[in-house]
Amino acid sequence: MKPGDDEFDDEIRSHLALSARERIERGEDPASARLAARKEFGNVTLTRESMRSVWRPRWLDEAAALGRDIRFALRSLLRARGLAAAVVVTLALGIGANAAIFSVVRGVLLRPLVNRDEDRIVYIRQSAPGLSAENTTFSVPEIIDLKSRVTAIGAFGEFSTADFTLIGLSGEPRTVKAGVVGGSFFDVMGLRPVLGRLLNAQDDGPAAAGAAVLTHKFWSTSLRSDPNVVGRPIRLGPRTATVVGVLEPSIPYPAETEIFANVVTSPHHLGAAMVTSRTHRMTELFGRLAPGATLDAARAELLAAHSALMREHPEAYAPAAGVRLSVSRLRDQIASPARTILLMLLAAAAVVFVIACSNVANLILARSVRREGELAVRAALGAGHGALRRTLLAESLVLCGAGALLGVAMARPLAAMVVRYAARFSVRALEVTVDASVLWVGAGLAIAAAVLLAFVPRLPSPHAPAGLGLAGGSMRITPGTNRRLRLFATTQIACSFVLLAGASTLLTTLLSLQTARTGYDMRNVLVFDIPSSATGVGGTKTIDFYHDATDRIGRLPGVEGVAIGSFVPWRDAGSMPRLQITTSGHTPAAGEDNPHARLRLATPRFFAVLGIPLLSGRDFTDGDRRGSEPVSIVSQSVAARLFPNGDAVDRQLSLTDPVSGTLDPSRIVGVVADADDEHIENIGNTAGEPALTVYVAVGQIGYGGRLFVRAAGDPYALVPAVTRAIREISADQPVERAATLEDVRADVLSPERLNAFVFSGFAGIALLIAVVGVAGVLAFSVSARTREFGVRLAVGASPRDLLARVLSEGAAIAGVGILAGALGGLALGQVAKASVESTRAPGALPALGAAAVLVGAALVASLIPAARAARVDVVQALRSE
Amino acid sequence: MAKRPDESRLELLQGTLDMLILRTLQWGPQHGHGIGQAIRAQSDGLLKVETGSLYPALHRLEKRGWLKSEWDVSEANQRAKYYRLTAAGKAQLSREQDRWSQLVNAIGRVMNPAGSKG
Repeated sequence: MKPGDDEFDDEIRSHLALSARERIERGEDPASARLAARKEFGNVTLTRESMRSVWRPRWLDEAAALGRDIRFALRSLLRARGLAAAVVVTLALGIGANAAIFSVVRGVLLRPLVNRDEDRIVYIRQSAPGLSAENTTFSVPEIIDLKSRVTAIGAFGEFSTADFTLIGLSGEPRTVKAGVVGGSFFDVMGLRPVLGRLLNAQDDGPAAAGAAVLTHKFWSTSLRSDPNVVGRPIRLGPRTATVVGVLEPSIPYPAETEIFANVVTSPHHLGAAMVTSRTHRMTELFGRLAPGATLDAARAELLAAHSALMREHPEAYAPAAGVRLSVSRLRDQIASPARTILLMLLAAAAVVFVIACSNVANLILARSVRREGELAVRAALGAGHGALRRTLLAESLVLCGAGALLGVAMARPLAAMVVRYAARFSVRALEVTVDASVLWVGAGLAIAAAVLLAFVPRLPSPHAPAGLGLAGGSMRITPGTNRRLRLFATTQIACSFVLLAGASTLLTTLLSLQTARTGYDMRNVLVFDIPSSATGVGGTKTIDFYHDATDRIGRLPGVEGVAIGSFVPWRDAGSMPRLQITTSGHTPAAGEDNPHARLRLATPRFFAVLGIPLLSGRDFTDGDRRGSEPVSIVSQSVAARLFPNGDAVDRQLSLTDPVSGTLDPSRIVGVVADADDEHIENIGNTAGEPALTVYVAVGQIGYGGRLFVRAAGDPYALVPAVTRAIREISADQPVERAATLEDVRADVLSPERLNAFVFSGFAGIALLIAVVGVAGVLAFSVSARTREFGVRLAVGASPRDLLARVLSEGAAIAGVGILAGALGGLALGQVAKASVESTRAPGALPALGAAAVLVGAALVASLIPAARAARVDVVQALRSE
Repeated sequence: MAKRPDESRLELLQGTLDMLILRTLQWGPQHGHGIGQAIRAQSDGLLKVETGSLYPALHRLEKRGWLKSEWDVSEANQRAKYYRLTAAGKAQLSREQDRWSQLVNAIGRVMNPAGSKG
């Protein structure tokens, strides 16, 4: 057992006492006996110290030695400031990028939600891949059936959105997005109120009083955290409700809303269609696992119940729709859109780190070759391998530690940038904070780098004669060192190639998206959302309002045309399912289904306002109203598909919606050009399916909600006038989200732009580091081979030969690096394909472009060292050793 | 770990001292002072163990598990730390004795070759 600190002293005292007693027994006088015993013992402190050191762990001694080495490293690095700065900055870039991205990955993908027992909350989604409907949501009868057949889910929570015109909390009437929820919703989601209460079972059903809960964001921003808000009456469209509470801050999912309201506030939710129609789907479904039930058990039970439903009600689930159910943990569901992009970023950051490390390894290797003389002297004086490594480790620890400090300091602003970027994919990114974990990541990376770097340089062998190094103290480059230097430079080129190829692929995609022909005149068209109140769908009142509004706006100065539609290109993408077209003159080939098309609503002059050419037939007219013959206009691709003989006009056409039923058949009166405005990623990709579209008249359906204004001059200058014109007709009518089509498209493209931007940033850093790396390697190699060049010149080589020689060395590094990068990239792609669904290999053009950039950069980097090689003075060079 | 220039010499001494300590303790538990005195007495005063070497050696042997220590009161009513040989220590002693006699034997043959005896 390890003795306590006092015990060493006790033992020594006891020895002295025994020794003195013995002398006294032999007859010495006590005072001189004690003195003699003390004298005989020798150095008490030293003995105690050596006793203690027996018990001290070995690493403590090592650590003390490392401390001395670190002080030495600090002094010697102060004499090589340029190198130290290069290493620290390079490492800081690598560490900072990794720490920033890691903290976002952690916050978005790994951290639990605030909801109580968040790992017990599941999200259930119904989709119809056959109709390109990612989320069809559920109808009330479907939910009732699932509830009655599934036991692994203890409670279900329902959520659907409705737009209300809210009057009563703050001044002007405004549209609020509300979540209409069942009484069990908040309990299932495990959320608590910060004020008042949340909705519960007593708020369910048609007899309950209207009740609303405010989201924390709405309460704290629009109402400035008013503590007296509970109990206030409000108007939600035609109904009234009372504010009963404020929700704690939480992730808004599946949709960001400002308030939550119970079902009674939305007449639509109580209507017959909602309650009885199996295909009237508009409700999102959540569940809380029953005690003891696992996610897998719940999923199996839900899938079984769902397929039973589909068998029992074949009319509600068309085979072509391919309706299916998926069940996932809420946390995974919220994070999943960001998963791919974040993991890609993490990989890119890791690659940058590897590049940074190999560049630093190069610099340190070059430095240690210069230090070979010093190391040889140390080895000759008896320093073992361990001690020499420790010296090197101390130096790389100092460098990497400084790099980590700077990197962690950079991580905070970098993380803020990544958060803004990632927030487009997952709302969770908004609550990411950079905390102490970044420090740990930074420190971990720095230590990893330091240990790696300490093992890079070759040590002078104690067995081999070190005479050369000792004698001259000069620099000699060995083939081994040279190989290592080249290896690191090649690694950098390879990694940069992967990043550059990736970035150029994203840039090419972005470019083709931005230059693609969309079929719209985008510059001069202004769009507005003018939502009809959720209740007022299909009234003649609405049609009259649209008529009145287009009339008034059309008379405004600077307005060239005005129309109502149902769909803002790109912005409303994915909001409506595709409908199946059946026609009188077309029978699908065997095994083929009737084509699916998008349904759009339009008023007269809609096509003229948006710049879509009318190819044959006529436009809608004011005569196409309720009661008159139903008419439709089809896009060119529909006409070509169904009526290849070009006789589409005057044919009958009917649309079937597997989700909500069949519309009245209508007569085709016109054909217009195609416009693809939904599948942003398919634009410019000729393999995408044609944009089959059927337009019907707003005047016959009574629904629209989107206003299109064609401006003669500056479109945005018209916004106040248009808003005023509409408010003059209806003071409660919201007029929102005014933007030109061009800006709508730019907004939709911004994730692509950000992707390209972020990756180009990484690739740029990588390229910069790699160029420095190649230049450094060649510069070092040239300066170490001055003598060789001198000899070559002396035996007749021309300076031009030397120039070409060094340049070709640079090109060789680049060539081998690119090859390795291409192979590694392909292998990585295969690995990625296994875990991430949508991996795209870069096309040949971006890859070649990246290769060309790298070779060019490598040649430029080799130019300076090459020129130096060519200018070598023969006499000087031969004398230099 | 750096090799100290004098390590080889120290090691030789250390090995011998360890063996002597173990041997001394074969007759029963003893405190540090007693061990020093015993070695001196046994060698007729030829071997004098420095306390600066003795105590670190005792602790080293204890750390390796060859000795166990215990505070006790001596016959002269003086508190002292007594060291006692463990089973592992006994095994180590016999190993060191073997090695020692082999070494003595070998050195003896070199110094007194059989041929020069006659």
